[in-house]
Amino acid sequence: MIGAEVTFDVALPKIVWGWLVSTNMWAKSIATGTFLLGIYFIKKYPEQDNFFRKWLPILGLIFIGITLLVTVLDLHHIFRFWKIFFHPHFTSAVTLGAWVVSAFVIVLLISFWSWATGNKKLLDRVMIPGFILAFFSTIYTAGIMGEATAREVWVFPSEMISMLLSAMLAGSAAYLIIDALYGNILQEKVRRELGYILFGSAGLSAAMFIGELFFAKMHSEFSYEVVKVLAFGEVAPFFWIGIVFAFIIPMMLVGIANEYRRYRYAWIASIFALIGLWLIKHAWLIAPQTLPLS
Amino acid sequence: MRLGFLVDLSRCMGCMACAVACKAENNVPLHSWRLRVKYIDQGEFPDVKRHFVPLRCNHCDNAPCERICPVSALHYLPNGIVNVDHERCIGCASCMMACPYNAIYIDPITNSADKCTYCAHRIEVGLMPACVVACPTHANIFGDLDDPESEISKYIKNHRDVMVRKPELNTHPKHFYVRGSTVALDPLASERPEGYTIFTEVKFLEHIGGH
Ligand code: SF4
Ligand code: SF4
Repeated sequence: MIGAEVTFDVALPKIVWGWLVSTNMWAKSIATGTFLLGIYFIKKYPEQDNFFRKWLPILGLIFIGITLLVTVLDLHHIFRFWKIFFHPHFTSAVTLGAWVVSAFVIVLLISFWSWATGNKKLLDRVMIPGFILAFFSTIYTAGIMGEATAREVWVFPSEMISMLLSAMLAGSAAYLIIDALYGNILQEKVRRELGYILFGSAGLSAAMFIGELFFAKMHSEFSYEVVKVLAFGEVAPFFWIGIVFAFIIPMMLVGIANEYRRYRYAWIASIFALIGLWLIKHAWLIAPQTLPLS
Repeated sequence: MRLGFLVDLSRCMGCMACAVACKAENNVPLHSWRLRVKYIDQGEFPDVKRHFVPLRCNHCDNAPCERICPVSALHYLPNGIVNVDHERCIGCASCMMACPYNAIYIDPITNSADKCTYCAHRIEVGLMPACVVACPTHANIFGDLDDPESEISKYIKNHRDVMVRKPELNTHPKHFYVRGSTVALDPLASERPEGYTIFTEVKFLEHIGGH
């Protein structure tokens, strides 16, 4: 006997979490990355802190706003979202995430107020809790993916590291774009450092994705099949364009920018990085959903 | 008390009585299922075999769906049933992403997660699940796994080939199969070409839900 084929079955859902979830992860990377990096640059270059004290809360609030919006839109019961606060189930990374992000929003609002009123001390006071909350806001989605046991490629802690790197990539890219849009207001050394962060996080992310894909020991047949879908299957165009846009092109362009002091290349690199990041997130989210579970 | 199911696959003839009874009992909408029977054809004519596999929630002892649900809409009953509270559910579909068996759906009418509950409402009043009653060959064996005298416990004791789906995931299903094969229980052991077969259209839905 050879081969076996399903000849009778019900229609099965292919995509359960779609582009709204990819957008959630993408926007959250920008919001948390700009916060984490913003705090670092405020501490390291106090003479340049006005830029970061202004853009850290603005970018944070815009992109965490997008994250929250798509999260709620993705619920089938949109108006019941409050139950997560009143009937929480703390074994769930979804619950933990909702609580952590809400606290992070409060920190962002305080940061915004601090910038709007010029009261620098206010932000200084929430820096440490904000840093911790931004960190956990970034990684909690890795917890959710780890708990989504049906999709065996999403493994904690590699997801966590990948999400932290995404935050660094997105945060540095966002600041480089803002800097270019407002006529290169940052000092050269700060701009260069942002470029190095973009370069480094892109390189490490690429290494992680490629390493996981081609060299990691697959822990199940399911993950092995997902890798095939990602690398050669229907999700492959998203995945490879994502790899090139998010990592390869930005690394080359930032390299040129920093080496030859042609900083407009860093700006273009950042645009590519942000577009590519969405594509990569989407590919990684969709691929395991294309396989049947039952 | 730990309620469990066992399907003797050698008795199942794929008549769908269980699936129809389940739909009728639980108002399961079109395109959704709590219990279904999947057909898998193996081999090449004339050397062929058809497998029938009734699939439903496994009421895992270590249920990832229960763990991931942010509002405890999925919860354990004292008898081991993994139950759903439709009023509590916020419809985040995390449970769908966590269940390795594709046993949960979002009901398009109530917008809440739903799945097989082992007919918890019938058990409560001393009845058997609807699918057990409807099965003409008594392929579905339901009962208390903690009671050594129950039919299911005896079945498990007397058969060497007791299988569960995806044991490697440590979800500890309380749903067993005997006289089955990997082809029947492992989704990757069979191909799933989309399109019309002799009976039906085998297909994936691109996106569930209303967006
Ligand atoms: S089979 Fe799926 S839905 Fe049922 S208890 Fe296990 S994880 Fe939950
Ligand atoms: S869809 Fe409903 S039952 Fe499923 S995890 Fe979300 S809130 Fe819980």
